[in-house]
Amino acid sequence: MERDLAFLVPELLLAGAAMLMIVAEMLRAPRLVLVIGLVALGLSAGLTLPLLDADTTVFGGTYRIDAIAGWAKLILLPGTALALLMARAEIAGREREGSVYAVIMLVTLGALMLSGAGDMMVLIIGVVMTGLGSFALVTYPRDDAATEAGMKYLVFGAVTGAVMIYGLTFWFAGAGSTLFSELGALEGQSLILIAGLIAVIVGLGYKAALVPLHFWAPDAYDGAPISIAAYLSVITKAAAFFAFAQVLRDLPREAGWPFALALISAATMTYGYLAALVQTNLVRLIAYSSVAQSGYLLMGVVALGVSSIAVPSLLVFAAAYVAMNLGAFAVIMVAGRSLNDLEGVGRSRPWLGVAMVVFLLSLTGIPPLFGFVGKVYLFMAALEAGYLWLAIIGILNTVLALGVYLRMVIPIYRTPEATAERAPIAPPLVAVIVVATAVTLGLGLLAAVFPG
Amino acid sequence: MPLLTIATFLPILAGLALMALPDRPARIVHGVSIAATGAVFLITLAIWARGIVPGGFAQIEEIAWIPAIGAAYRLGLDGLSLPLVLLTSLLFLLSAIYSARVGERAASYVVLMLMLETASLGTFMALDGLLFYVFFEVSLVGMYFMIAGWGYEDRQRAALMFFLYTLLGSLPLLLAIIGLYLGSGTFDMRAWIDAPPLAGIAAMLALIAMFFTFAVKIPAFPVHTWLPAAHVQAPTAGSVILAGVMLKFGTYGLVRFAYQMTPEAFVQAGQVILAFGVVSALYGAFAALAQSDLKKMIAYTSVNHMGYVVMGVAVAALATDPRIRTIGLDGASLQMVSHGLVTGALFFLVGMLQDRAHSRGIGEFGGLLGRVPWLGWAFILSAFASLGLPGLAHFPAEFQIFLATLNAAPWAIVAILAIVVTAALYLRAIAAVFLGEANPKWADMPDLDGREKLVIVPLLILTVLVGVAPGWLIDIIHTTMTGLGG
Repeated sequence: MERDLAFLVPELLLAGAAMLMIVAEMLRAPRLVLVIGLVALGLSAGLTLPLLDADTTVFGGTYRIDAIAGWAKLILLPGTALALLMARAEIAGREREGSVYAVIMLVTLGALMLSGAGDMMVLIIGVVMTGLGSFALVTYPRDDAATEAGMKYLVFGAVTGAVMIYGLTFWFAGAGSTLFSELGALEGQSLILIAGLIAVIVGLGYKAALVPLHFWAPDAYDGAPISIAAYLSVITKAAAFFAFAQVLRDLPREAGWPFALALISAATMTYGYLAALVQTNLVRLIAYSSVAQSGYLLMGVVALGVSSIAVPSLLVFAAAYVAMNLGAFAVIMVAGRSLNDLEGVGRSRPWLGVAMVVFLLSLTGIPPLFGFVGKVYLFMAALEAGYLWLAIIGILNTVLALGVYLRMVIPIYRTPEATAERAPIAPPLVAVIVVATAVTLGLGLLAAVFPG
Repeated sequence: MPLLTIATFLPILAGLALMALPDRPARIVHGVSIAATGAVFLITLAIWARGIVPGGFAQIEEIAWIPAIGAAYRLGLDGLSLPLVLLTSLLFLLSAIYSARVGERAASYVVLMLMLETASLGTFMALDGLLFYVFFEVSLVGMYFMIAGWGYEDRQRAALMFFLYTLLGSLPLLLAIIGLYLGSGTFDMRAWIDAPPLAGIAAMLALIAMFFTFAVKIPAFPVHTWLPAAHVQAPTAGSVILAGVMLKFGTYGLVRFAYQMTPEAFVQAGQVILAFGVVSALYGAFAALAQSDLKKMIAYTSVNHMGYVVMGVAVAALATDPRIRTIGLDGASLQMVSHGLVTGALFFLVGMLQDRAHSRGIGEFGGLLGRVPWLGWAFILSAFASLGLPGLAHFPAEFQIFLATLNAAPWAIVAILAIVVTAALYLRAIAAVFLGEANPKWADMPDLDGREKLVIVPLLILTVLVGVAPGWLIDIIHTTMTGLGG
């Protein structure tokens, strides 16, 4: 018991901090809430470092302390800290400010549960924790758009969650255990395997915004505050992929499920970029682009079990994706929600323009940026798993991606018709953009820190 | 001293230093640009002085980068890359001098140029598959912003077309590189060359992917269509770099990757690749003949000249006699350098003409030779070089290529027809622009000033030198190619 708890220190710290934050919010001290959150995230990430090489489980195998869970913390916790800063820049001084920070912390805790899930029950807890908090975050503005988006999100989440729980019972029946490590027992029981897998794809695919379960994403992102959209687009999504990795790596590769996932991957990236091509609302544009990025992440899931770099590829690309997507959203918070708002940004604020170009090129996958390193890992995983056709579709989609992102790059350097006065950028936002740029640029060059 | 690394990253560091300056007047910006490219040129001369070794790479510089997947930072040189490195540093220096008149957003322009130089030198010197790809792609981004920001009328469309085309073109290379990696467990290009990791159908697929990428870059018919648009719209220095340096990425890659890393598949596909070369050479010549825009005409002659390079490499693969193989590869490599010198000069000259007249139409000039003798004679000399006149830079290269062709695949000698066409089109252009009735509209056109002479004279001298006494250059190339041919 003590040993188990020692491994859970980062999670416990986060849970404790979330409680403290709620108390501080009741004291009407939103700054304090923020500070507690940031400190806890930093401490928790620091305490994860010694656990990085651990490969064990706690509480009877239900919760995993392994490379996925460890690196997931190092990716999700700093990502959450950046999202908190972005939220601060957007909603400082508004009512219920502190509650937003506290709920964000709880959702991140749920995301950690997903990334470490070793058991069906933990997976369900993770899905519910991330879900409930996210609904509340989306409806924060309390206007019609936000309420509608929140309702869609909630209904979608409730249905897919129920389907997942129902389907998981098949696996329990087939394997005789709720532990994912026992899933090997499903070998030969194709029907049961498929029934459970469909449920998992529905439940996690909804979180990851895979086609055709992505419909909520653009509405939810657009209805929510931009910082919340940024948060949801990276943290819960990355966590869903980590959960995929935890669930599927012990599943026998039979009944053609890798092929089915490959089809979903191809459909997701293609549809995401095609839909993004026609958007003029930047938040929706990035929303569809992140649908497409999910398709790329799914390439890593397809290769699980056969390719030794499948798990590293998910981790590396997720880290890159968190940095570059948060960065792009942060720039949108400065510039505005419409494509026209980008007009001339590169002329009036040269550094902001450069940062946005870095994020967008990294999202496209242009070297030497971090996004490129991530994509190379994913392509390598897919090729090693024998999915040459999927890699080719991924490559063709990169060209589509270029079209999507250059639509944003070109106006940045156009001469604006009217020179708008430059309001200073909020300091927290500057910090976010600087960190995200440094990570996107720097880790592309120093990719050696990631596990092989 | 790691001279290769210094040469590669000095430009981008100078560029970053420029960006950090709070106030960036154009004079200082161009001063830094000329100083940095000049220093790089001197460093590459020192690299040349250090020399290369037969049968492998010299001056290796290596540090771990992503050990988990066997990728490292590896630079090195051989007889194929050294001449191209020298050409690159020279053309960037001359472009920096030429560009000193650019006043519009000078700092951004110079930073992009310097970034392009880093990418270009890195592409030629990288000995790691992933690193090569990184440099290869970064050059694309730099050139995109160059065309989109400082090009002519229709620059946005041309830049987008260039970017989409070459990005789609270069991604198959990434697949091939990953394939080579999965076959060998390392990204070390030396290992791939020493023991080609793929065989059979996998090697053929990798070759097809690589050939597609490099054909777009070279560019070979029928994937050349981005070139005229990009060239016509690019600013002058951009055209020079694009034609003089970046097209060589394609031919360099064709030898370094396709020929050296999938040798058996390359021999099997030799006739097909040769056919692409022959068609490109012929098509480029005829298409150039049909142009009325000087810049477009020169752009199409690039398709023609690069077609010869493809032919040289293909016949080297087809030849059974190692001597002939070496001659084909020697010719192809020399042709890359000659094309950089001659076409670089031609694009500079057309740019200078356009600076004066704001027009590039062949029919709009006439009798300019009397008005601007420096410009006129420089153009005539370069045009003669471009059409392959003996004693000028292209002759020794094309002679060797045709010699090898005649020996290994006689049918392909039909490409020699292209030389006749090129001769006709250049003579026509010279007659229309520089001879004949003087057009009074250009009566007060000034001749080249000191800065412009400084740009063009070194290229003309080298054009003659390579034509009359190519020994010093062929010796470098030959050192490596004897190993490849045998």
